[in-house]
Amino acid sequence: MRANYQVNATTQFRVLSDDQIEEIFHSALNVLERVGTRVYGEEGLALLRDAGCLVSDDASASSADALVRIPSWLVKEALSTAPERIVVAGRDRRQRVILEKDKIYFGTGSDCPALIDPYTGEVRKYTYEDVYNAARISDALPHIDFHMSLGLTSGVPVHTYDRHQFLAMLQGTSKPLVITAVDKEGLADQYRMACEVLGGPEEFAKAPLFVVYIEPSSPLSNSIEAVEKILYAAETGIPAIYTPCTMCGATAPVTLAGGMVQCLAECLVGVVLAQLKRRGAAVIIGGVQSAIDMATSILSYGAPEMVLLSAAMTDVAKWLRLPMFSTAGCSDAKVLDQQAAIEAAMSVTIAALSGANLIHDVGYLESGLLGSFDMLVMSNEVIGMAKHILGGITVTPETLAVDVIEQVGPGGHYLTQEHTRQHFRMELWFPTLMDRQQRRGWEASGGKTMAERVRAKVKDILEHHQPLPISAEVEASLKELVAHADERHRSKAGER
Amino acid sequence: MANERLFEEMTKAVIAGLPDKARELANEALHAGIDPLAAIEQGFKPGMDVVGEGFARGELFIPDLMMSSKAMQEAIAVLEPEMMKRKQHLQTLGKVVIGTVQGDIHEIGKTLVATMLAANGFEVHDLGVDVSPQQFVNAVREVNADVVGLSALLTTTMLNQEAVILTLKEAGLRDQLKVIIGGVPASPEWAKEIGADAYAENATEAVEVVKGLVQA
Ligand code: B12
Repeated sequence: MRANYQVNATTQFRVLSDDQIEEIFHSALNVLERVGTRVYGEEGLALLRDAGCLVSDDASASSADALVRIPSWLVKEALSTAPERIVVAGRDRRQRVILEKDKIYFGTGSDCPALIDPYTGEVRKYTYEDVYNAARISDALPHIDFHMSLGLTSGVPVHTYDRHQFLAMLQGTSKPLVITAVDKEGLADQYRMACEVLGGPEEFAKAPLFVVYIEPSSPLSNSIEAVEKILYAAETGIPAIYTPCTMCGATAPVTLAGGMVQCLAECLVGVVLAQLKRRGAAVIIGGVQSAIDMATSILSYGAPEMVLLSAAMTDVAKWLRLPMFSTAGCSDAKVLDQQAAIEAAMSVTIAALSGANLIHDVGYLESGLLGSFDMLVMSNEVIGMAKHILGGITVTPETLAVDVIEQVGPGGHYLTQEHTRQHFRMELWFPTLMDRQQRRGWEASGGKTMAERVRAKVKDILEHHQPLPISAEVEASLKELVAHADERHRSKAGER
Repeated sequence: MANERLFEEMTKAVIAGLPDKARELANEALHAGIDPLAAIEQGFKPGMDVVGEGFARGELFIPDLMMSSKAMQEAIAVLEPEMMKRKQHLQTLGKVVIGTVQGDIHEIGKTLVATMLAANGFEVHDLGVDVSPQQFVNAVREVNADVVGLSALLTTTMLNQEAVILTLKEAGLRDQLKVIIGGVPASPEWAKEIGADAYAENATEAVEVVKGLVQA
């Protein structure tokens, strides 16, 4: 027997203390109560007004928007009914992400305008085919747990592009999805499509096929689309990410703590709206938090501030008992170069250590303008390394190996020990892209750089990976739903 | 001599980006009966030039630029009534109407461009975000704009940059002004395709390009 023995089954990492978290939370409550937030749309405003918010109708009568001050007790009440765990499952129902405290999952980002064509090297717009291919790549990678579109489909009607994009994603992967929607109607159509795939709303209710990504606008504004989408999601039982893209120094305070206060306040508006619509509605907080680059004005996707803010907000989310949407595996580099690798490695490792749930934007280059297949494939390897580190070190009599050390004795070796053969597969990490050959072997195998090896793997996946097929019947009705949406919009445009 | 000392302090206040100090100095100039136009041209404006050069050299950053331009704007606001009285007009480089196109609410990039243009001597009318083609046309008429700046951050809304140009044409205004476009999906090729006069990738480039447009 022994007493007081503690085990770190994983690494331990934390940015903020409980006291610091509480101070950030209280400051966010303060902002919501005194400064308020701008909310667009009748329904959201009515819900907030009826619940006891101070609503000042200081805007023009034509656009229904107002400044809403949310009392702290209402936020607290909303937090008490917002679920702390969510399970999302892909159309292959065994592919699941279980969003519970400290369970980490990595996935792509959505909607980049451009990609680098893997065959011609040309930078060009995403097509339907490219969005499908991006999904197939996620599908093939073992460390990518959920998928976002990576690219925005061009060449389809702009008001209904989201339905087309969703179809391409469904065809390309059976993993859990995070979708974007043009508006409430787009979300409703995609929900219908998901139910079609799963065989009905009950199956969606058991484990949603997707989470919808919705963005408030910093500072402290909620567009009508955002509000209508979160209310529809809450009502329908679709888990919603309600998170901004804060740019410290431009759309949020430059001090990181202040940036977090505002970001948290913005997320909490989503939590309140969702709970007012339906208690128990699932909301995920977090977001893309970074700083504006003060020389070029871009929102940096590779900055250490982004890494730190994401980890710190994860501390806050865990303390609030809400699932966390974090950011990593992305870069400001324009091609898959050394900068991209450095930024990916840094952000992936820290995000993994932080214990965030949905860690997105894996594969982004050029600050979110280029959805890169190369970056996605390279980051998969980085995530593998990070997960290995997270596992920490197992300390048992067997792993302490004192007996083996004794057996080998000074001057011997471990290569022929049964202990070595028994444990090496579990204890050691095996690279799939890192090159560990000696120089002559490396030269003989073509002397390829990381970028070249990555590109070869991208092509290999594109040429060989077959996702789980969707039945012809279901696919036909999905296409019909998309065509209906297009038709509805065409006739609406015709009326105008 | 006293004037020169005051002008020097004005320049310094703009370089250091101190709006309160700039306002105070502008008031001082008014009390001393100094020509407001001279105060701007010889006092405050040289400060902006220094800051602009510092930014171009990579020694100064966006907040430096923004605060200096704020100091400059506030000084002008103090001096304006006196200039009106004297029937003086601040030489602006031109009138710019700028906004983010309909359906698009990405704001900060457009705001940066607007602020930089204002800091560099343009009269800027910022219409905000989600601006319809008709709103652009109305504003152009109202202020008699020389340049229209159209921001779009989405591949889905960049089509509305074209819509504004078409509406300007229908209103018979297209030939009397220049159109510049920007935002991440825009490009020089897109500008050509939709019949815009220019494209700029960022706020500093926008200043140079718009200067070129009004001189042409
Ligand atoms: C912040 C942000 C938001 C914020 C905006 C908040 C606000 N108040 O502005 C929020 C969260 C609201 C938002 C919403 C959405 N966004 Co957004 N957003 C961004 C992000 C991350 C940064 C944009 C930014 O502010 N950059 C910093 C500023 C300073 O740079 P800038 O805008 O590019 O401006 C500079 C230049 O472009 C140029 N410029 C800009 N305007 C003009 C005008 C003229 C005349 C000139 C000469 C120059 C010029 O000069 C500026 C200064 O140097 C970008 C990613 C990116 N890297 O751009 C995505 C991004 C633009 N968004 C995107 C999307 C898809 C959306 C949404 C549709 C998301 C959704 N599915 O719900 C909504 C759309 C809402 C709407 N109807 O507009 C996509 C666009 C993809 C595409 N193919 O079109 C991007 C690329 C991200 C991504 N990969 O998904 N977004």
